[in-house]
Order: sequence, then structure tokens, then C-alpha cells
Amino acid sequence: MLGCYDFCGHYEWTFEWLRQQGGESLVRKYWDEAIHRDSQRHPAALIAAKGIEGMKEYWGHILAEEGAGYHSTATDAVFRMDMHECPSKGFLIRNALRQYHDYCDHCMGWIGPLLKKCGWVVDHEHNHCGQCWWELRRADDVTSPALSTPHDVRLRNDWKGSAPLDTYSRANDPDDKTVS
Amino acid sequence: MTPGAQTSFLPHTDTKPVGAADFYFAINATFRFVLNKLGPDGLRQYWTDLGARYFAPVTARWKSGGLTAVAEYWRAFFAAEPGAEVEVHQSPNEVTLDVKVCPAIKHLRANGREIVPCFCEHCHVIGNAMAAPAGLTVRVEGGNGSCRQRFTRC
Repeated sequence: MLGCYDFCGHYEWTFEWLRQQGGESLVRKYWDEAIHRDSQRHPAALIAAKGIEGMKEYWGHILAEEGAGYHSTATDAVFRMDMHECPSKGFLIRNALRQYHDYCDHCMGWIGPLLKKCGWVVDHEHNHCGQCWWELRRADDVTSPALSTPHDVRLRNDWKGSAPLDTYSRANDPDDKTVS
Repeated sequence: MTPGAQTSFLPHTDTKPVGAADFYFAINATFRFVLNKLGPDGLRQYWTDLGARYFAPVTARWKSGGLTAVAEYWRAFFAAEPGAEVEVHQSPNEVTLDVKVCPAIKHLRANGREIVPCFCEHCHVIGNAMAAPAGLTVRVEGGNGSCRQRFTRC
């Protein structure tokens, strides 16, 4: 049986298997069609109906269940998450599991299209070491990401490590990023 | 069965004692996606490759530890699956998994998810891909929420 305890392991393995079958486009379709539109239809419904309250409800539940080390904050216009210990990337790092070249892209791969459908854009960075931050705001809100929080993951001494930093600005596409 | 993995018998371990049940949604959705894109043969190939490659560390333990290692693995496995009600029995010639409540089917049904019709086949295909290199085979009787899986020597 395929289980949920080590889900992140076979999930990441599946990305590379799909890439070998149909290239990167099949992986993107997988994140959008299987994860966003099928598996994750519950957050899609929550966020479409409730906006920021739906985001709080969804991520509050799933990140607690997954045992994440994170902090979230919100205003009436912006929802922000600072992930200090990503449960899934952490699982892969601890178990030395790496088949696909950039596991972290999967979050933007399903969350980006989901939010686009709901009229939201994403500012996001991840450091490939289990840390990232997100700010989600409506597409017609042109303000820059600036929500101040003492839990800002970028304040960590290890935020900029040896791995590249992937940066998304008002994005909804996993490939709409700059790498530094 | 006491919830929480006896992680020494699992190849990949986590800091939490049991998995997040909502991941069963993604497993079911993944099967549907592969089936729609690559057809039934593609889905069987996906399961076969998962069993032979991703689960290779489990097979290695079964190869060296025999049926005792098989029983240890499945006890630890189901202890880490939320909602599982499974009895694992070992005799000199086989290990039997008496799956009274499949945690995946239970969670998918409880949340009104459309279950891929061939969902239960993955246990048979992945199980045999894991077992064969260790000189074992698995037979599955039942399904759709409860089943019996028998691991025997070839």
C-alpha cells in the first residue's frame, strides 16, 4: 500500500517519474490538474468563498497536521506565511531523498494556479533548505510585499545558504521566477 | 495496533508519529492523473516502478530478513497510517495482513472523494514489485475498504 506517512517521499519521486515520461510540461500539468484541481479542491473552495479567512482555515489545519514550524499573519488585504521548518522539504532532507531537480516548485505549481483562479497573486521566495515566505494579495492590489513581522524567515542567519534562492513577484506560475 | 510508527523498521522516517490523512487525496488524484494521461498500462508501470525503485530499501530488508522483516515492516507501516485497523500475522510460511479498515479508502469515502475504480490494484502491483526481488510474492483477496494480503515465498 502507498501510505501517507512517507507521502512526501513518493510524491517527490513521482515528479521525476512523470518528467521522464512526458517532460516538464507533464509535471506542470500534474501539479495543476491532479493536485490543484483534484486533490486540493477543498482549499480551492475555501479560498474562493472566504478569501483570507479561508487561507487561515486551510493552512492553519494542514500545517498543524503536518507538524510545520511556521508563522502566519494577515491584514484585511494580505495573507503572509513564514515557513521556518517546511515539513515536506524537511522530510526529504532528513531522509536524503532527491529525485526531481526542484521539489520546492511544486507549491507554486498548485497554489499559483489556484490563487489565480480566485483573483490573487503571489510574492514568494524559497531557499531550497526548508525555509520560505509567502505574501498573497488580490491581483488588483498593486502594493509591494512589505508586511512586517518579527517572524520574517529572511531574518534567519541561515536564510541565504549555499543553495540558490528562487524569487516570485506577483506570480501564479511555477516557472515565473528569478534564481539568484 | 498502537498509533505511531516503530520507525526503525521503516526506510524513511518523520518527526511526527502518523501521517496526514489528507495526503490520501493526493494519492488518489495521482492515480487518476496517470490513468488519464498514460492509460492503464502507464498506471501499472508507475506502480511497478514505485515498488521496484522507491521501495527498493524495503525490498533489501525483506531480502536479508525474510518474512520476519516483512511482518515488522507492515506493523510499523500501518501504525503510522491514521485510521488503519490492520492485524499482521506471521507463520513459518507466510505473513498475512488482515486489513479490517483500509485507512485510505476510509478517509476518501468520509470526505466524499471519487475513488479511482482501480485504486485497490496498487497494493497488488506495488506489493509484488517490492516482493519479487526478495523471493516473495503477494496475493490480495477482497478490497474496497477491507482485504487480506498474503506474503509467501515464491
